[in-house]
Amino acid sequence: MTIEMASAGPREIRRLPPGLKLAGALLFTIVVVALPRRDWLDYGLAGCILLLAMIWGRAASWKLVRRLILLEPFAAGVAAMSLFQQGGLEIFLSLLAKSTLCLSCVLLLGATTPFSQILDVMRRRHLPGLLVTTLALTYRYLFVLHEEMHRLRRARQSRAMGRRHADSWRGQAGIIARLFVRASERAGRIYAAMCARGWKS
Amino acid sequence: MNALEVHNLRFSYPDGVEALRGLSFTVAECERVGLVGPNGAGKSTLLWHLNGLLPEILPKEPAVTVFGIPLIQANLERIRAEVGLMFQDPDDQLFCPTVAEDVAFGPQQAGLSKDEVQQRVKSALAQAGACNLENRLPHHLSQGEKRRVCLAGLLACKPRLLAMDEPTSDLDPRGRRELKALLKSLPITQIISTHDLELVVELCPRVIVLDAGQIAAEGPTVEIFSDEPFMLKHGLERPHILLHHHPHPAGVQNNKT
Amino acid sequence: MHIPDGFLDVKTAVAGAALAAAGLGLSLREVSRQVPPARIPLIGLGAAFVFAAQMLNFPVLAGASGHLVGATLSAILLGPSAAVLVMSAVLILQCLLFADGGLTALGANLFNMALVAPWSGYALYRLLRRVCGNSLRGRLMAASFAAWASTVCAAVCCAGQLALSGTVAWGTALPVLALVHIAIGLGEGLITALVLAGIARTRPELFPPTETAQPIETSTSVLQTIGFGLLLSLGLAAFVAPFACSWPDGLEWAAERLGFAREAADKPIFHSPMPDYQWPGVATNGWGTAITGMAGALAAFLIAWVTARWLAPASNDSKTTVPPAVSKQDERKSDNDN
Repeated sequence: MTIEMASAGPREIRRLPPGLKLAGALLFTIVVVALPRRDWLDYGLAGCILLLAMIWGRAASWKLVRRLILLEPFAAGVAAMSLFQQGGLEIFLSLLAKSTLCLSCVLLLGATTPFSQILDVMRRRHLPGLLVTTLALTYRYLFVLHEEMHRLRRARQSRAMGRRHADSWRGQAGIIARLFVRASERAGRIYAAMCARGWKS
Repeated sequence: MNALEVHNLRFSYPDGVEALRGLSFTVAECERVGLVGPNGAGKSTLLWHLNGLLPEILPKEPAVTVFGIPLIQANLERIRAEVGLMFQDPDDQLFCPTVAEDVAFGPQQAGLSKDEVQQRVKSALAQAGACNLENRLPHHLSQGEKRRVCLAGLLACKPRLLAMDEPTSDLDPRGRRELKALLKSLPITQIISTHDLELVVELCPRVIVLDAGQIAAEGPTVEIFSDEPFMLKHGLERPHILLHHHPHPAGVQNNKT
Repeated sequence: MHIPDGFLDVKTAVAGAALAAAGLGLSLREVSRQVPPARIPLIGLGAAFVFAAQMLNFPVLAGASGHLVGATLSAILLGPSAAVLVMSAVLILQCLLFADGGLTALGANLFNMALVAPWSGYALYRLLRRVCGNSLRGRLMAASFAAWASTVCAAVCCAGQLALSGTVAWGTALPVLALVHIAIGLGEGLITALVLAGIARTRPELFPPTETAQPIETSTSVLQTIGFGLLLSLGLAAFVAPFACSWPDGLEWAAERLGFAREAADKPIFHSPMPDYQWPGVATNGWGTAITGMAGALAAFLIAWVTARWLAPASNDSKTTVPPAVSKQDERKSDNDN
């Protein structure tokens, strides 16, 4: 599974202010969630709006659809539980409709708005500095640690005698432990680097 | 005035390991000095002392003076503006989500206006030859590109002394050539800690050899590096570039403080 | 356990968001006050670590695999308030970057996995440590069981939220989610113990016997404990209590107080075409789930006990301190292989 969604979207939609895109996505999802269960017409309308947005932004790509297909089974699985009650089928179908609409909306947001821009919006809206700093560092380093984790895993696999050993729980947990130690040490060096350039916490 | 004056610098880790045992040396303005030595010699530890990252609590009688400013708690901000430290791992130094934000970090922390910050970012990226990287994401950059961005981030703070920890360790030959040319073009005092002995010969007329927390030798690079027995004794070797060079008959200048 | 959009109605989503905002605000305040600036980047790196750790697959059987959630692990390693922040960062990024968990459901998801999970795990860990002792073995046992319990607690809250929204009947949601997470929690407990043992082996100072030696939060303030306790109680009252109460009158009373009205008070509220979940031979619905829960707890306890004994054969704690890693070479030297 690729770790990030395409954040290089087409030009027009990228030029829109990120705050607008985020607000739009929020509004869309809130409205869809608030729609009454049997309101199939409105679901259709919302779907059309979304489709238009995707076409206009040229974000209706196979990648987006593939992502949607990947995520749908989870929603469908949970939705299946709703069948076991009065009027369950109606609930199930409306759940699928709502979740698909909202999922597509969030995927569209992710495909057209780099996360760094969302962080900018948060800073401008005066969200707590500590939260924004934490989100920024998490975003920046999740790729680094992901890569480190892969390296540790490959090293272990190349030394393991057979597949069973390579995937053993103890071995994998050992990788996680070493990853934490490395993350902890790296955090110390990042703090030093921040101080070296005058960070005022 | 010297760019850097270090006098009897000592440091021990919390577990008692003595990393630096009384180092004393100076670096003149606009000089480029190499810092070499085997692993564990204390090179990185020394660099961390130049802008007060170590020790955690600065002593009242400073062992380090930067451009005449003694390294005490009260002067920490000033000194960190003068000294730009390039970390061994560019991923440690490039901690912002985008390149532009990272280069802007230093000027922003210094409290400059938005326009000034923008201006500094543009000129620093230009100086480091990284203008095309401004809107890129750090995790999409190659090691060489990351190094350029790190350098830009330091240059944006307009330091007068650049201390670099293994700047070419993860570069391919082209990246190394480009960085070398870049460092040569910068009219700033530089201390380059590295295992890349060829780089030291090419860039630094003077070198300090560190071993086990002490200065084993200090002086002209070519002379020190040409002394094969000495180099081997301190976990180094004569670089290939000097394979046919013979040491000065007067011998190597040793500095034991 | 990430609830997608559309599964929670507006009132539940709003309640979840309000509780999550309060919990996040409280943890931000606590972290700002307690955590020294030098440890602030560790929170971001901790979140990145949890992210990466969640991607490792632990094979179970026939192709199926589980993975670590890491809420209790974070709380033990970094302290409970920092863990709230860590898990919040993970969930927010999962929502925005991967559409894992809905945007409107983010509040509820944060409540379950960033508030309930770390805090219930941490509280139980501290409690159990008094019983099991501060030796490595004792700590591993306490951590393993606490991790299991925190998973189940979060799942129960999730079930409550789904039921409150009318999405899934309580009679279906609780047994299914609880059962699934009683099983998943066993894996979480085991993995948590294994990871902590690995850390204790290479860097014992990162998993110290007492809180005073914690690398991040220095102490748990009374206000912090009361504040989070209150939030968790409010959440339980909102999401779980209406269903846990077996009297129909009690249910109506709770409904009135919590401000959500049912359309037809005369008609039965949850009418399942399937018979209520029951153990064979047990008369009432509630007992079935309770018995399963107890069986799960026993299994979790056994696993915790066996794992701890296996990982820490002798109860000794090394107290060596390691110098800070200044360079990557130092880091590789200290990174011992197992």
